[in-house]
Amino acid sequence: MAKDRRSDYRLFQNNSETTMRDTRPALVTMRILGLETTCDETAAAVVSCDGEGRGHILANEVLSQIAEHAAYGGVVPEIAARAHVESLDLLVARALARAGLDLSDMDGIAAAAGPGLIGGVIVGLTAAKALALVAGKPFIAVNHLEGHALTARLTDSVAFPYLLLLASGGHTQLVCVRGVGDYIRLGTTIDDAIGEAFDKTAKMLGLPYPGGPEVEKEALRGDPERFNLPRPMLRRDVPDFSLSGLKTAVRLEAERIAPLSATDVADLCASFQAAVVDVIVDRSRVALRAFHAAAGNPTALVVAGGVAANQMIRAALQRFAAEAGLRLVTPPPALCTDNAAMIAWAGLERLRLDLTDDLTAPARARWPLDSMRA
Amino acid sequence: MQAGVAIKGARVQGGRALRLRILAIDTALGLCAACVQQDDAETPLSAESLVMERGHAEALLPLIERVMARVDGGFKSLDRVAVTIGPGSFTGIRVGIAAARAIGLAAKIPVVGVTSLTAFAAPLVARGQQRLVGAAIDARHGHVFFQAVAPGGRSVVNARHISIRDAARALGAGPAVLAGSGAGLVAAEARALGVDVSTEGVNMAPQIAWVARLGLTADPATALPKPFYLRPADAKPQTAAQIPRQPVPQ
Repeated sequence: MAKDRRSDYRLFQNNSETTMRDTRPALVTMRILGLETTCDETAAAVVSCDGEGRGHILANEVLSQIAEHAAYGGVVPEIAARAHVESLDLLVARALARAGLDLSDMDGIAAAAGPGLIGGVIVGLTAAKALALVAGKPFIAVNHLEGHALTARLTDSVAFPYLLLLASGGHTQLVCVRGVGDYIRLGTTIDDAIGEAFDKTAKMLGLPYPGGPEVEKEALRGDPERFNLPRPMLRRDVPDFSLSGLKTAVRLEAERIAPLSATDVADLCASFQAAVVDVIVDRSRVALRAFHAAAGNPTALVVAGGVAANQMIRAALQRFAAEAGLRLVTPPPALCTDNAAMIAWAGLERLRLDLTDDLTAPARARWPLDSMRA
Repeated sequence: MQAGVAIKGARVQGGRALRLRILAIDTALGLCAACVQQDDAETPLSAESLVMERGHAEALLPLIERVMARVDGGFKSLDRVAVTIGPGSFTGIRVGIAAARAIGLAAKIPVVGVTSLTAFAAPLVARGQQRLVGAAIDARHGHVFFQAVAPGGRSVVNARHISIRDAARALGAGPAVLAGSGAGLVAAEARALGVDVSTEGVNMAPQIAWVARLGLTADPATALPKPFYLRPADAKPQTAAQIPRQPVPQ
């Protein structure tokens, strides 16, 4: 028995000698279970990487809580936390079953440890720690934003460094992604997130929740030039966003002509969306200049977060990227909105650099991406 | 229902060999606690409790790791997990349940839920009482989570969130003995009403060994590890701030 173990050890050493000759970090086939509970999606996923370092999604289970929050016109933290704890273990079991794997087949367990709604974060983080402890696997506390930031490497094997526009209901950031754990936040919103501005606009116009897709739908048949709305921050040197003034401008226009006809609503949505598109393209252009100064030429412009599902915004960024000579990478919509595959993948990227966490890792409501250390 | 579990737990004291090893977890109230209990042994094989108002999410798994390190066989030797499901702190309840259910999933063993009120009352019920036994947890703002059982185990008040005054009235003429973090509040009110009442086990959280004992006798098919909040989420539907729309022509 002891002899067998010794020969296994020698085999392992031989392997590491082989990889040592390679200048890249050792790439071994890995499988990671990831959990995501930072907002209103309960999710569990299994992701692997092959010998070339390419990612594969073996299971990606997401349970949306939209129905639970719809009556409130937004995510209610306590309701979200209650829903997460009811279903998370079932989703983990389902993800493992779909991947055809057991917990013992995993090389590590990752969970989003923030930023997000703390009650939900605590549920996913605690469950992942417990799974890791019982299964005797490494535990990785993943920054939810890093999950979004690295998704393009899972889907498109994008090389560092790249420019990331992360735009969702809770986050709006332009980031220079230099490496795992190595981020420069070039710009962010000083008030509302872009997705939040869409949702609030939808709510004031009486559109159903979640509002982003509804505003986009209305905008398709509206006149984007009927209302002259402001483009906040346009041409400012620092690529920050401000959206609350735009939202207020929509409100003032709407109140001026209320009660609103169906055409009014469509025109307001179209005018609002056109303003957001102009702001996003302008801010991305300024961010690209800042990127050049900080890290040279990006390999791509990556758009992540739920807002990346908006076709008008995608098309505008496609034109901007073409004009700037950049490759535009937009992960598929299911991987742009919150999911656990991105958490598992970020966990995998960190594990293969030996970046693991212990069981005391805290849940964080706030956790800026550029405060991370690899 | 809850009282029945407590009575069953008490009868186990009689010495029926269960041949079960259980990990019990409690983070619902002012402790972060876990223990490993074998059958109906007098004392747990391993136990640890930390006084804690907040921070359970960071402290619990390292604590469980220490508790498990002190028993032979580790997680593989467990037959069951028990967890307090509330009432208590909403976040604390979820920390314990998320951990317990994940441990159950990973170790492929059943997980049972035990209410905090039952666990507070169990040591009193177990000794056999000629008095009414009540358990009360301070829920603030003049309220308690409260439950009471008559001698013999008949439920007098099912677990609920009620005012301290209503809890005291529910004791009738007494005599009664009260346990739990809110026992003093209810006892003071009851005495003012002239009820013969005493308190015992006025602790910030139940004894973790009793959570384990109740877990050993609980039926996994009915004692589900689901939160027992006893209070709805604090949320109101928002309809304000919507701009009036023209009626849609039929």
